[in-house]
Amino acid sequence: MSQFLLVLVSGVASGAVYGLMGLGLVIIYRATDVVNFAMASLATLGLYVALSLHDRGVATVLGVLAAVVITVAAGLLVRETVIRPLGQGQLFSALVVTMGVSLVAENVAGSIWGDQPKAFPSLVDGTVRWSGAAVPAQSLLTIAVAAVAMALVGYLFARTTLGSAMRAAAESAETARVVGLSSQRLARISWALGLGLAALAACLYAPRSGLVPTALVAPLFRAFAGIFLGGLTSMYGAVLGGLTIGVLDNLAANYVSASFRDTFVFSFTVLVLLIRPQGMFGTRTFQRV
Amino acid sequence: MVFNRSLLARAALGPAAGAVLIAFMASGAIPAYQMYSVGLAAVYTIVVLSVGLLAGWSGIWSVGHPAFFAIGAYFAAYGSGHGWTLETVVLGAVAAGAALGAFLGYAGARFSVLYIALLTLAFTTVTLELINRWSSVTGGDQGVPVVRLRSVLGLGTLAGGGTETQYLAVGAAAVVLALAVPAASSGLRMRLVAAKSHPLAARTIGIAPEAQSALSFAVSGACTCFAGVLLGLLTGFVSPDPFSLTFGISLIAACVLGGVGTIVGAVTGGIYLTWNPSLSSAVGLPQPVVQGLVLIAVLLFLPGGVVPFLGGLADRVRRRSSAQRMSPSEELTDPMPPPTPSETVGDGPELLRLEHVSVSYGGLKALEDASLTLRRNEILALIGPNGAGKTTLLNVLSGLTGNGRVSGTADFAGQPLLGARATARRRLGIGRTFQHAEVFSELTVAENVLCTRRRITAGHRADVTRLLRSVGLAEVAERRPKELPFGLQKRLDLARAMAERPELLILDEPFGGLDAGERALLARHIRRLHADGTAVVIIDHVLDDLFAVAHRVLAFDFGRTIGEGTPDTVLKDPKVRSSYLGTVGTRTRPPEHVGGRSMIRLRGVGHTYGGVVALRDVDLDVRQGAVLGIAGANGAGKSTLAGILHGSLEPARGERESGGVVRTGLAPEGRALFRTLSLRENLEVAAYAAGITGGALRERLEETVEWLPARLRDRMSASAGGLSGGEQQMLAVARALIGAPDVLIVDEPALGLAPALVDEVYDRLTKLAHEGLTVVLLEQLLSRALSVCHEVVVLHEGVVAAQGRPGDPEFAALAEAAYFGGGLGAAPTAAGNARTPSVN
Repeated sequence: MSQFLLVLVSGVASGAVYGLMGLGLVIIYRATDVVNFAMASLATLGLYVALSLHDRGVATVLGVLAAVVITVAAGLLVRETVIRPLGQGQLFSALVVTMGVSLVAENVAGSIWGDQPKAFPSLVDGTVRWSGAAVPAQSLLTIAVAAVAMALVGYLFARTTLGSAMRAAAESAETARVVGLSSQRLARISWALGLGLAALAACLYAPRSGLVPTALVAPLFRAFAGIFLGGLTSMYGAVLGGLTIGVLDNLAANYVSASFRDTFVFSFTVLVLLIRPQGMFGTRTFQRV
Repeated sequence: MVFNRSLLARAALGPAAGAVLIAFMASGAIPAYQMYSVGLAAVYTIVVLSVGLLAGWSGIWSVGHPAFFAIGAYFAAYGSGHGWTLETVVLGAVAAGAALGAFLGYAGARFSVLYIALLTLAFTTVTLELINRWSSVTGGDQGVPVVRLRSVLGLGTLAGGGTETQYLAVGAAAVVLALAVPAASSGLRMRLVAAKSHPLAARTIGIAPEAQSALSFAVSGACTCFAGVLLGLLTGFVSPDPFSLTFGISLIAACVLGGVGTIVGAVTGGIYLTWNPSLSSAVGLPQPVVQGLVLIAVLLFLPGGVVPFLGGLADRVRRRSSAQRMSPSEELTDPMPPPTPSETVGDGPELLRLEHVSVSYGGLKALEDASLTLRRNEILALIGPNGAGKTTLLNVLSGLTGNGRVSGTADFAGQPLLGARATARRRLGIGRTFQHAEVFSELTVAENVLCTRRRITAGHRADVTRLLRSVGLAEVAERRPKELPFGLQKRLDLARAMAERPELLILDEPFGGLDAGERALLARHIRRLHADGTAVVIIDHVLDDLFAVAHRVLAFDFGRTIGEGTPDTVLKDPKVRSSYLGTVGTRTRPPEHVGGRSMIRLRGVGHTYGGVVALRDVDLDVRQGAVLGIAGANGAGKSTLAGILHGSLEPARGERESGGVVRTGLAPEGRALFRTLSLRENLEVAAYAAGITGGALRERLEETVEWLPARLRDRMSASAGGLSGGEQQMLAVARALIGAPDVLIVDEPALGLAPALVDEVYDRLTKLAHEGLTVVLLEQLLSRALSVCHEVVVLHEGVVAAQGRPGDPEFAALAEAAYFGGGLGAAPTAAGNARTPSVN
């Protein structure tokens, strides 16, 4: 029982990370039609900066803050220089460009900080005893921080005028234009927000995985699986999809086979999509002539 | 397919190049250390070709090809360890690749491009994980050697890593290229590209997109597995390293660089992939950085790829030198005498019978209880205002009702029609055109018509040439539709629908967007089709042209049939007439209006959408305090004019002037609310867009909410999608009002509303006018515009056809004539008849 509880907590903690990343992906995708493959590698740059600061004795919290700032800045730079010139609605080209960015960014990180795995500091250490299980405090913190971040994003989108405007632009770019919303400004805000969430997710994930230039590729893929499971355009879907993937991933690793966790997770996702192509929360569209 | 000489010559290029290369390799002209690279380039060429043609022809971008490549290589390794022959290994790998590819292609056809990316990403991830963990077969990350494979067909025994395998790789690539060349001009490719460019239109000519993508992915997967076998032999050792996702990205980079969907481009890509390491060390950057930069640069600056770019340059040079000869005459050469109108219309055998057909989407009834019959030698016109259910009826006939529920019965030529799939209707003998000429943009004009055939013979090509000549497209047969004006694209759409001589031809707004000359040509063409024995169903808003060709007219409104008659009599039916013009009782009059200062003035404004003229030379003056009505049938250019007056649409020609700072608010056609947002949020967002924030926003919000009817005020937190049509319209007007506009523009506020609600909306608009707001009202129903406006402008086909004051006793007749026929000064139409009354 305590073993199961541990697996579950660890699953929810992983799921919270995938959910945060997925949330970032969905926010950017809804606003600009870009599936941002480079999100993970840009966040990795942020992580390395945070680690360098930590090594110089800066507090970890400030390091996390620096990671967020660096990631957001890098993301905005990428958007303005290589994504925006592509023009609107270039779904595939934009995806491939971000793949290119990701190759470059990973390599830059590798050439500056080296390819050897490094340890990333936890924000908290130790364990908490709960129903006879020693739950790592870092897992609980991850869940708490992710929950707060998600709640804030929820507040922004549900309760503020800016959030309404972002939802409006995502629902119909054409109507938003007629009403007079500035799409470029909203796009920049969405990119900043999405990358900020990714950087935060990265800081929560890295203490467990260690840091190499490709450290975030695996969680990015699982976040992908999560958002497709959730329906690609739904923010709730991204969070719930990420959590589902996280829990499944940990259950599969512990009770099925640690060697085939991706096989399990992706097969499950594809199977669900074959039955329900629009995902759990997506809506079916119908093309009219 | 036809093997003409040039095709054979091109197909022989691959083997010839391969033979030359092999001769070079054998002669020792290529240094030994480059021999392996040449073999590798040959293998990569096959893979890039598989990925590139799949993307170019079927629109499927796969990141799953590293997995196929790996499967082939491990087949070679496993086979060599278990004494399989070369042929067994190749057959096994090809069969595995084809089966997996067919599955991915079939599953992927249900998804968009992004879902396919995820699907193939998942495929690669899962395959790589299996390879890494299933050590008993794959050797895990230690890898397995490919020692030797014996051939039973006399190729001898190939040692892994030996020189023979390099020759084999080059030879195999040459054969694959030689097969790809004829495939590129085959009906198969045309059908794949057709299914990719426009799946819906493809269905109407009998192409099923799912089957096409399963087939192409299967072939692509099989080829890549074959290349994997070659790779295994070439390297003599197989480990998981080369088959990473990074390799998948590199493959896409290679495809994009060379040019997606071209064969020469694939060769270029294969060569790039092989020598990328050398290139990287030459420029002194790490390999992935070079690949990433190349990928980004190509997509930004040469999105079509290097080879098509160079090809385009060469074409332009060639075309310039022959520009004098290339002046495509757009006139229809008419080899046949104009057919005499058939006098025996209406007594032919019955071809089509629809009984009590209804279509509903969710709760919305798009078509209700429609019944009609059509005889073999008849041209039937369907008329009715926007939203009357005409297009839905056409979609019932061609099987494109999507997830709508269809009930009732339909018989076509004695067979039940409703159960037949859309792709089967073409075979039954039904062809159709589309309102916006949905042609396949990536095929040439000739190919657009040819792709209706599965196998293309010389006879078919000759038929198509004749057909294109008869519609006046012969001279542009090798051009892409995009290079043609809209009128010619519509002719192409028609030619495609006619290609297999259907018994029933369905034309969806064929006259829309055409100029007078083109419309006359089209009318001639439709009459000739009829003379050849084709039954025709047409819907259109250009009534003159429609009535000039039709034998019988059926009028629709609110999804029901409301009248029937000949072209001469149908508009005399008061019900039909009022569905266009409306019947309006007494209503609150607009305030007495003294001509105020000019708020917005348009001078010589014109606008076009992709070659289609929407507005031409419009002069308009919106005066302060006035209620200006702009009336016109659907497609007359009203919404375009609304956008230009609002300022959100920049006119292509002419000027828009506004006196000082004039704020405008637009309630667009169809309301265009943000359906997922609540009522309050819809208003907030509009205020935010107008630059109102903080306390001012709350204040404005309160004022605007006060304006809304009480039943909406209580539901400010409900989502706008749940409102009824009339309530949505109120909210749309409120949203336009929240920015405190000087001019309110309302586009078709009555569309789709029940009469009582229409009155409520109009009363509220009139009240706003009484409070001093300037209002521009765009209205489909002329009588309604006349009853509520100070001044009415009648638009007909993008031109101001009449303008006057409703109080003027002569104006009503003038406006009505202008509404239907363009009135005075309109271009002579195809009919050119006396139905356009002359008004002095």
